[in-house]
Amino acid sequence: MLRAESINKSFDGFLAVNEANLTVERGEIVAVIGPNGAGKTTLFKLITGHLRPDDGRIIFKDEDISGLPPYEVCKKGISLSFQVVNVFSRMTVFDNVQVAVLSHQNKTRKLFSSAGKHGIEETEEILGNLGLADKAGRVSGSLSHGDQKVLEMAVALGNRPELLILDEPTAGMSPEETSETIDLIRRLNSDLGLTILFCEHDMELVFSIAHRIMVMAHGRSIIQAAPAEVRDNEEVQSAYLGGT
Amino acid sequence: MLSSLGVHLLVGLSRAMILFIVSSGLSFVLGVLRVPNVAHGSLYMIGAFSAFTLNQVFGGGAAAFWLALLLSPFVVAGVALVAERGLFCHLYQREHLMLLLFTFALMLILGDLVKIIWGSDYRSITSPELLAGSLPILGSSFPKYNLFLLIVGPVVAVALWLFTNKTKIGKVARAAAVDREMVDAIGINVSWVFAFAFTLGCFLGGLGGALVAPTISVSLGMDHDIIIEAFLIVTIGGLGNMWGALIGSLIFGVTHSIGVLLWPQFAIVFPYLAVVIVLVWRPTGMLKSVW
Amino acid sequence: MQRGPFNWKTVWPYVAVFAALLFMPLALSRFYVYITAVIMVTALLAMSLNMVVGHGGMYQFHHAAFYGVGAYTFALVLTRTQLPAWVGFVLAPFAAAFTGLIIGWFCVRLNKLYFGMLQISLGSLIWAIAFRWYSLTGGDDGIHGIPIPDAISTISSSYYFILFVLGACIIVMYMIYRSPFGKTLQAIRDNPERCETVGIHVRGHQLFGIVIATFFAGIAGVLFVVVEGSVFPDLLFWVLSLEVFIMCLLGGWFTFAGPVLGAAITVGLRTFVGTYTEYWTLILGVILILLIFFLPEGVMGFIIDKTRGREGAGGLTDAKGRIHQ
Repeated sequence: MLRAESINKSFDGFLAVNEANLTVERGEIVAVIGPNGAGKTTLFKLITGHLRPDDGRIIFKDEDISGLPPYEVCKKGISLSFQVVNVFSRMTVFDNVQVAVLSHQNKTRKLFSSAGKHGIEETEEILGNLGLADKAGRVSGSLSHGDQKVLEMAVALGNRPELLILDEPTAGMSPEETSETIDLIRRLNSDLGLTILFCEHDMELVFSIAHRIMVMAHGRSIIQAAPAEVRDNEEVQSAYLGGT
Repeated sequence: MLSSLGVHLLVGLSRAMILFIVSSGLSFVLGVLRVPNVAHGSLYMIGAFSAFTLNQVFGGGAAAFWLALLLSPFVVAGVALVAERGLFCHLYQREHLMLLLFTFALMLILGDLVKIIWGSDYRSITSPELLAGSLPILGSSFPKYNLFLLIVGPVVAVALWLFTNKTKIGKVARAAAVDREMVDAIGINVSWVFAFAFTLGCFLGGLGGALVAPTISVSLGMDHDIIIEAFLIVTIGGLGNMWGALIGSLIFGVTHSIGVLLWPQFAIVFPYLAVVIVLVWRPTGMLKSVW
Repeated sequence: MQRGPFNWKTVWPYVAVFAALLFMPLALSRFYVYITAVIMVTALLAMSLNMVVGHGGMYQFHHAAFYGVGAYTFALVLTRTQLPAWVGFVLAPFAAAFTGLIIGWFCVRLNKLYFGMLQISLGSLIWAIAFRWYSLTGGDDGIHGIPIPDAISTISSSYYFILFVLGACIIVMYMIYRSPFGKTLQAIRDNPERCETVGIHVRGHQLFGIVIATFFAGIAGVLFVVVEGSVFPDLLFWVLSLEVFIMCLLGGWFTFAGPVLGAAITVGLRTFVGTYTEYWTLILGVILILLIFFLPEGVMGFIIDKTRGREGAGGLTDAKGRIHQ
């Protein structure tokens, strides 16, 4: 479904992503792991159009989407949930998700009918799925950090994506919140059939739900394979897991 | 015609020197504090009025002129420092729009303060013997004072460059423009850096006002006129970039002179048109902005 | 969750004010009727600015340029052409919106401060041309004694005309505020990057917002001519733009009707203070400073916070624990 081929990206001479490769099949959960600075977030930003690759191609559903601006990538069916919470802080939780839904329904230019008439069911459904229904009326800036991360995901789901990309979805979360999020990701994949690509530092999480894992270090992709194979791979062990 | 063009251009260039001195101050503040100081024109105006008063206080002769020219910028810097330490510095944590609106409020207040202190009449300063009258250049007469400005401009430019590149405090200010958190992290009090930058920028504005005083009638409304020009110059030059301010000022001064020559009625439109053309071609300014 | 845009609980203050304004001319002297008319025109201008600033988050620093274009277009149609007045009524807002489209197209390509400064540059060009083109615009003097149609030329009749146009405009603006587009614009204000990620073409929507807002500014320009009978270059000057900005801040730019309050307070104070001193500008500056320090949500924002006890009203905390205001 998604193929990133030989992606290169440098910033002022620093090669952040170096001949990186990634494949994601429909219906999979793929994790990207690697030490800090390995280029994971950069790779995600390249896929979603926030950055343009210097070289290489990004193919989504057999279409070359390299270099498209973010809003067009989104329209193709890819949604990104950011690492640092990036929501509409002055608006309510409900409004946050509704904006994404309205965008998906191409209703963002409607002038003369009330927003209260559009996208309500879809928004409520998403909030319900993610356990935010009781907080729908609160201003999103006033939520706890963990809830804001969940809201982050809810907004990304508003676009009804086929591929959901999560950048460190459990960063800063408590253990309970983390396990709730793990369940959520599993459900999104099994019940809603979402293909999920994420990156994480929490190895337990990664190895428990990922179908395949891609390992990055210094901007390069070292390996992409099933968890067991990755765990046994020597290069991965030395680069990242610290030997043995 | 050619000699007339030549003299016109020289006049334009000397005007550009004033514009440069004023806009370099605005640009400096913009670079370090990242806020366009709308009150910069008011400080320019205060510089001109102070020069007038100091001139009178010192008796009105040649010595008075030079003393007034020397001291006015410091008066202006004093006013700026008071405003900055008293009120402005408390807003540094707020979003930039608030800072900009504060400077607008300052402009309103200073404008009326000038009216209160000096009244609404026009004032004038006569330049001293040395600089009065004109010289024959290129077959036309060129005012000596403008020649003086043509010398002062580059001197100020060089002095400013040396100051920001060779002195410790200048370098710190430039660093703060690019990355204030880093400057903070290495133990320098960023707030005082801002105070310094703001004061220096306003000093330059006041200097511009004191220099321009003998060539125009000093009056209310000077602040409105100059601030829009300085803004545009800084925008086309590149925000915070001193050399950009110089280039912008030259463009402004020269296009205005060309306008006076070609179509006097619409002379002021020429610089605005030049600004629009530059901005369409390079929306963020001709030279790189400091941040 | 309300379905339609109009909810009696929030609408009744507007209806009450409208009713009061309806009966005002019967109770007050001509001077106060005139001042109220001026307030209404200014209120429309401030509301139109707030569409892009408060709701859209753009640094619209030279909104007066569009207002002036609307006013001058109307004035020119009435004085330089033989066309009937209604053509002027229709042409002026479109001229303003067209100017908004052109200038806006250049400005939305830039962010924040660059947007504002480019707009000041382009708007000032218009001012400079109007200021000097004596034969067309009357230059520095402007155009006076504009022949307003008889039906709306007296103080009372112009008052009612302005009141109804203002009322209609506010209704439309409210619908837009509550529409999907309005929500989208507010989202763009809060987080343009997130909007792009969610599939919204930020620049396109911003430009659309600018065109709508400048259309209303053009209407305000027409109303100005109706009440004053003249135009002059100050209408196009950047100082007026910043004054209108202050009105939005004073009223509360994150609220809907805040700018109306801001305009009313500013014009009212200016008139009132003007009878005692000529230093109104100083007082306005002091008020602005007080606002910045103590009341950044504006008067109406303050009132709303207090009466509704909004959750999180003491400041919004982001993931890094910073407080936003």
